[in-house]
Amino acid sequence: MKAALTSALAVLAMLLGWEALVRGKAVSPDLLAPPSAVLEALLRHPDILLDQGLSTARETALGFLLACLFGAALGAALSSAALLRRVAMPWVLALQIVPKMALAPLFVVWLGVGAPCRLAFAVFIAFFPVLIGTTAGLAGTDSGALRLCRVLGAGWWQTVLRVRLPYAVPQLLAGMKTAATMALLGVVIGEFVTAQQGLGYVVMFAASLGETALVLAAITLLCGIGVALYGGVLLLELAFARWYGAPMPAGEFG
Amino acid sequence: MPEAPTLVADAIRFDAVGKTFPTRPVPLRAVESVSFTVRRGEFVAILGPSGCGKSTLLMMAAGLEVPSEGRLERGGVELVGPHRQTGVMFQDATLLPWLSVLDNVLFPATIRRIPRAKVLDQAMRLIGTVGLKGFEGARPHELSGGMRQRAAICRALVLDPDLILMDEPFSALDAITRDEMGDVLLDLWQHTQKSAIFVTHSIREAVLLADRVLVMSRRPATVAEELVVPFPRPRAPALADSAEFGAVVAHLRGVIARNMA
Repeated sequence: MKAALTSALAVLAMLLGWEALVRGKAVSPDLLAPPSAVLEALLRHPDILLDQGLSTARETALGFLLACLFGAALGAALSSAALLRRVAMPWVLALQIVPKMALAPLFVVWLGVGAPCRLAFAVFIAFFPVLIGTTAGLAGTDSGALRLCRVLGAGWWQTVLRVRLPYAVPQLLAGMKTAATMALLGVVIGEFVTAQQGLGYVVMFAASLGETALVLAAITLLCGIGVALYGGVLLLELAFARWYGAPMPAGEFG
Repeated sequence: MPEAPTLVADAIRFDAVGKTFPTRPVPLRAVESVSFTVRRGEFVAILGPSGCGKSTLLMMAAGLEVPSEGRLERGGVELVGPHRQTGVMFQDATLLPWLSVLDNVLFPATIRRIPRAKVLDQAMRLIGTVGLKGFEGARPHELSGGMRQRAAICRALVLDPDLILMDEPFSALDAITRDEMGDVLLDLWQHTQKSAIFVTHSIREAVLLADRVLVMSRRPATVAEELVVPFPRPRAPALADSAEFGAVVAHLRGVIARNMA
């Protein structure tokens, strides 16, 4: 409680310092709008920002869900079939080395400037940590527990549901946390290149007009979306940890 | 050679069983022509140094490994895979961390789709016998190593198998807990007619628990010597402190040393 209060006070002090710097003409308000101006920009166009924000939030959430489904399904498939792993893994890894942002314009060529393009790009950027979390989690199943399943004559589905999955979930959740931030990143980049709607588009548009207050207002909302999504995954993790009832094997990704 | 028909089939029978693992560059010969029988209700200890192939023997008895040669019979029928009436214990307790002690003990029933209500009494009775009463709801990480292995004993016994296979079940425990666990097993076997194969490298455990001790040679494992333990049941843990017990242990130590030479 005390630590939280200290942190909150530090943030407040920083915002006040920022405000003071701009008001004292140490920094030009055209380069960096003061917090008060950001707040004002937020309140001046609430309907526009809310509209664009909702679009970004919707696409981020959907992109995140699709990335989780796709990453988990592909990860499970790669885990269960050695042949598939040998064929597909080099491609998956090669795609990770390509600077993915550079491929964004190609997505526009393929899918046009609508929501499908932004969604596809978000999924493309966000599925990989989920895939790695899934394969690492499934590979990390305690070998003794698998032997126990064989001794008891457990079927393939029973082994997956009762043993492999529970062992894999902590790593899967770690991958999902990374995917949550990546999905938002993917949607914003998609909004940059499609230039149709969304907070990313607002940022581009406002920046080109030199409206730094509006840029920062949109970024503030983007932070809100990111925090909400990441928080959602954290809640999921908390619920799982409560069911798990034991210290979870650590799963961490970049 | 045709065998004489017996009224009651043996619990398990090894007939010239051998096992070679196809390792590279040289195949690993783990077991060489092992023949022995565990009768109904008999407790047989397999004693041998680490890495001699005795665990491979047990994995074959559990139906997890297939013999390269020879034949394995379980209750008079050739064994081809894990057997429903066999309980197995490993070196580690291998409890599932997200299940309570009770749910771990009931796990075999869950897998076999046997209603909980049918085995709950048996589970609670076993939990009481091994001294885990009051810990039914605890998670494995809240238990000591010895307590976890107690839960694993209950899990191996919960479906009332007629044969229990134990692969150095106490080797991961400290010496004091280990002796305690030996006493728990001894106590459990006073009132059961179950057959057991107990793989160990502890001479004390083998002599205290078993009706018969098979001493294995170095790899590839083969039965080097067989000893019928001359102590009647029921046995008390204090037996291990007697001079006669010491003499048997010393004799076995000599046998092992000769086989290692």
